[in-house]
Amino acid sequence: MRERILYALGAIAGLWLARNLYVILLGLPDEAAQGAIYRILFFHVPGWITCFTAFLLAGISSILYLIKSDPRYDTFAVATVEVGIAFTVIGLVTGSIWARIIWGIWWTWDPRLTWALITCIIYMGYLMLRRAIDEPTTRAKNAAVLCIFSFASVVITYKAIDWWRTQHPGAVLSFRTGGGSIDPLMESMLFQNAAALLLLAAVLVAVRMRQEEIGREVESLRRHAHAI
Amino acid sequence: MDERNFTYMFFGFAAAWLILALYVLSLVAREKRLRRELDSVRNMLEQRERT
Amino acid sequence: MLFLRQTATIALKDLRSEFRTKESLNAAISFAVVILVLFSFAVDPTADQIREISGGLLWLVFAFAGALILNRSFARELGNDCLDALVASPVPGAALFLGKASANYVLLLIVELVSLPIFGVLYNMRWTRQPLMLAAVLALATWAVTVIGTVFSALTVNLRLRELMLPTLIYPMMIPALMAAMRLTTLLIAGEGIAADDWIWVRLLIGFDVIFTSLAVTLVEVVLVG
Repeated sequence: MRERILYALGAIAGLWLARNLYVILLGLPDEAAQGAIYRILFFHVPGWITCFTAFLLAGISSILYLIKSDPRYDTFAVATVEVGIAFTVIGLVTGSIWARIIWGIWWTWDPRLTWALITCIIYMGYLMLRRAIDEPTTRAKNAAVLCIFSFASVVITYKAIDWWRTQHPGAVLSFRTGGGSIDPLMESMLFQNAAALLLLAAVLVAVRMRQEEIGREVESLRRHAHAI
Repeated sequence: MDERNFTYMFFGFAAAWLILALYVLSLVAREKRLRRELDSVRNMLEQRERT
Repeated sequence: MLFLRQTATIALKDLRSEFRTKESLNAAISFAVVILVLFSFAVDPTADQIREISGGLLWLVFAFAGALILNRSFARELGNDCLDALVASPVPGAALFLGKASANYVLLLIVELVSLPIFGVLYNMRWTRQPLMLAAVLALATWAVTVIGTVFSALTVNLRLRELMLPTLIYPMMIPALMAAMRLTTLLIAGEGIAADDWIWVRLLIGFDVIFTSLAVTLVEVVLVG
């Protein structure tokens, strides 16, 4: 039953994304200064929204793990971090493709870009640390501590455009600027795509969590097998 | 310029979908590996319990 | 009061055992000198160039040499199960952490104070033009490196591949502090003051120190005792 609900939700997310794609490509006009390429924004910004949400949830769930020592929080943290990294890569790659047209280069060491890359590396370090520890409780505990530390880089990435004069465009969404810098129609489309991506990410997290549970079952059966 | 602008927009969209697809594929691969491992460990346990 | 005394005891214990053998201190200092010498072959910079990159070069040296000290910080307790004994002792985890961190802090500062004159001589740089500000930046940034390094040293102490995992985890984490330190050090060694635009880096350093020290003190109990 649980699997069927997951597949259904995944299908809904996919269809929703396809419908959004149709509106973005055919329903919305080109942007005045940038032309067609600005449409990457509809993947770039929602991708980062999804990734920040994922890392925020991972951090909260790591704190909860340290308080309650319930392995389910650890499972949730690892699943969200992994999905978050996938969306970080989407954000970096789409941003890079946009920059090739607008700036003429793939990459520049601008504060926003640099912090985004650092965030990606730090969370990959999280997955690496998990691999290096065999004992499940130690692994969960140390990974949780690392996850809480890592969240600082997400905050810096988010605030970088306010703290430094960046080449990366400043805030456009109205909850950060107070409105006026983006067309409401475009903004609502952007949030719709963000919602669809978040739904997709939730399905992926659920799938990944089940895998983590299976992995834990395999581990405990192995230990049982060694015992007899 | 305008044509390249349009091509790169498609590159961007394709890249986003491709990365998602790759991640889903990696999930599927891991699922298969885990199921196989689970089955083999279960079989091993059953055989041990019989002997 | 008791807490401070326990912290001091741990710090002094670490420093004493380090000064008896000087093994990580010697290794870190000679490593720092080797990088400084290698760099001059690799780039062969002019005086202007070296002024522009001095902060970056120095902090890379400090960070790499520092990792040698940080790596040993908890690993030295592994022999004879000293770590278990320390954890079982009535010293709270936070005091243990702060003690070890202060010891590392002193050792790192020694490495820096030895490397700076060597840097000055090898590259013909007068680095004392803004002594007070430079000392403040060194103090703040070294503490940032120490806090992150000591926590992760505790996190990775029981790992296979510990020597490999520690640097890969700490360097990305330290980047905010290192970036600020590099920028400020370059300015100060060139003899300029800190302009209004660059105070953001000082704030970043202070914020980094405060946030990560409090996080570390709260979480270290979990890491050590679990």
